[in-house]
Amino acid sequence: MREKIIALIENQLGLEAGSIKETDLIEDIRGWDSLAHVLIIGELESQLGISIPLEEAIEIVTVEDLLAKAGV
Amino acid sequence: MICKMDRKNKVAILSNINTDPLVRLLSKEEGLDVYAPEGYGGELGALLNPSSALNAYAPDAVFLLMDQAQLISQEYDVSTAKEKIAQWFQAFSSAIKPGVSYFLSDAYLYAPDTGMLSGTPVRQQLENLWQEEFEHLLKKHPNLYLFPYGDIIRRLGEERAFSPKMWYMGKILHSNDCLKALKEEVVKCLHLLSGIPKKVLLLDLDNTLWKGLAGEHNITPVGLGDDGVGAAYKNFQRVIKYMQTNGVILGIVSKNNEEDAFEILANHPHMILRKQDFAAYRINWEQKDTNIKEIAKELNLGLDSFVFLDDSAAERMLIREALPFVTVPDLPERPEDLASFAVKLYFDYFASVNLTEEDKNKTKLYLANKQREELKGEVTDYQTYLRKLDIRLIRENPLENRERLGQLMNKTNQFNLTTKRYDEKELAELMEDKGREIFLYRVTDIFGDNGIVGAAILHYGETADIEEFTLSCRVMGRQIENAIVQDLEEAAGNRGYDKIRGFYHPSEKNLPVKNLYPSLGYIQISDTDKEAVYELKLGEAPKREYVLKRETK
Repeated sequence: MREKIIALIENQLGLEAGSIKETDLIEDIRGWDSLAHVLIIGELESQLGISIPLEEAIEIVTVEDLLAKAGV
Repeated sequence: MICKMDRKNKVAILSNINTDPLVRLLSKEEGLDVYAPEGYGGELGALLNPSSALNAYAPDAVFLLMDQAQLISQEYDVSTAKEKIAQWFQAFSSAIKPGVSYFLSDAYLYAPDTGMLSGTPVRQQLENLWQEEFEHLLKKHPNLYLFPYGDIIRRLGEERAFSPKMWYMGKILHSNDCLKALKEEVVKCLHLLSGIPKKVLLLDLDNTLWKGLAGEHNITPVGLGDDGVGAAYKNFQRVIKYMQTNGVILGIVSKNNEEDAFEILANHPHMILRKQDFAAYRINWEQKDTNIKEIAKELNLGLDSFVFLDDSAAERMLIREALPFVTVPDLPERPEDLASFAVKLYFDYFASVNLTEEDKNKTKLYLANKQREELKGEVTDYQTYLRKLDIRLIRENPLENRERLGQLMNKTNQFNLTTKRYDEKELAELMEDKGREIFLYRVTDIFGDNGIVGAAILHYGETADIEEFTLSCRVMGRQIENAIVQDLEEAAGNRGYDKIRGFYHPSEKNLPVKNLYPSLGYIQISDTDKEAVYELKLGEAPKREYVLKRETK
């Protein structure tokens, strides 16, 4: 599932597969601005059925955070 | 989606909520040039302020996706809302400029709290306020179109279309699925705006318009009805009938006994399409490529105007190979997919946002043409034939017929002397231009109204120049061009010119008019690959030969 989530994010941002590492800070990832962030949270829900609550979604700093909040 | 946009459209997406994701999708996935507003909610200011960034960008098409719940500040009180909506429409109306196309979302009231209105008439009343204002405005502005926002939401359902979480995170109301649907709709609208060149839909009969084979049994066993597979074919016909009433010309190319086919067309109780819906038909055992070429000749249209539907893969292959200009889509394998296939076919190849009266009556016009041809067969002398036709050439006001004028200039290929194309903006400027006169003509005869079929532009500069001269192929060969040229020459003479010039720019298709000016006594004064210039001394204009009456409205 972790790979699936990362692949979904890479796809959403139009990045090559393998370019995102779990330890990356999201602000360092190309294209991951606040708008992309909202869209990624939306996509996790519609594609993978993973619903990160609003209040947690805005606290995410690293990819690891996101994976943890996603419960994987 | 087949995209054939003539030119790169500059697009603006405006809203009172965050539509940045849509802007991003359109530019990333569709490669469109999209104006991204800073923030949201300033849509009226941006439109009205002549020095706004939006107006500096000068879009060709503006999409306004208005969220009605936000527009009325989520105060669901009908009388307050009425005032706010009226004010918005009033301001928007004054911001509409000619030369730009506007798409406005229709009514759909939603916010995370609108569920509480369920079971009361309030929601419907609020949506009606929007629709009423909208309909009023649509009548006022020919360049305003409806963006079917409500349909998109209803198709997806509120739960899938809206995302309260994204709304709270970034004032993005729409889910990713909904954003994709909105994107596709925007592309579709732009596609319609650019106009599509297909004109004729040719249809096979057996297993295309109905299930089974004509002539094998009596009428009824042909699969067509209100139940089961027959209903799927009936709905397919309904969509095709709708296309026909919206200007698509229909034809039949089918291997059957003509008699069997006509029997079904005339008497089958469930046929939606009847014989008079078809402008041309070849129902015989000849090769279909030969039949299609004959129909093209009969209708006087290029093969690239045709779309051909046949359930037989072999026939489709034959046409694709023999007539590569004809578009031949594959039919869906399953009858239940036929109706939606036809809807998509319409939007991909035929639909246009600007429907004129001429479009709607096309089949009638072509049928009348057939009668004219038959009359031609009866009388031996051409002049007698023309006299019998009792042709009237009526000058029309271009301001009242702008869409038709645009069509004539932009879609006519054969009788088009310079093939100069005009976009909405250029057309608007042309209307205002005091140095140019637009000549627009309607032609009628004993068989009916041919509609507005001819246009010319005379530029009054140092010399009087016929910058553009185009005539619909429907009325070619009736000496109408002679009368129009005389009109232009008289107009130039009345303004004191002693000479008039005509131009010919060769294109792939306008060979038929290459010698128009020389045949009218004009002298060639220059000739390059791209342009031949002709001149006529007005005092020496020969008497023009035509058999018609000229009228001014």
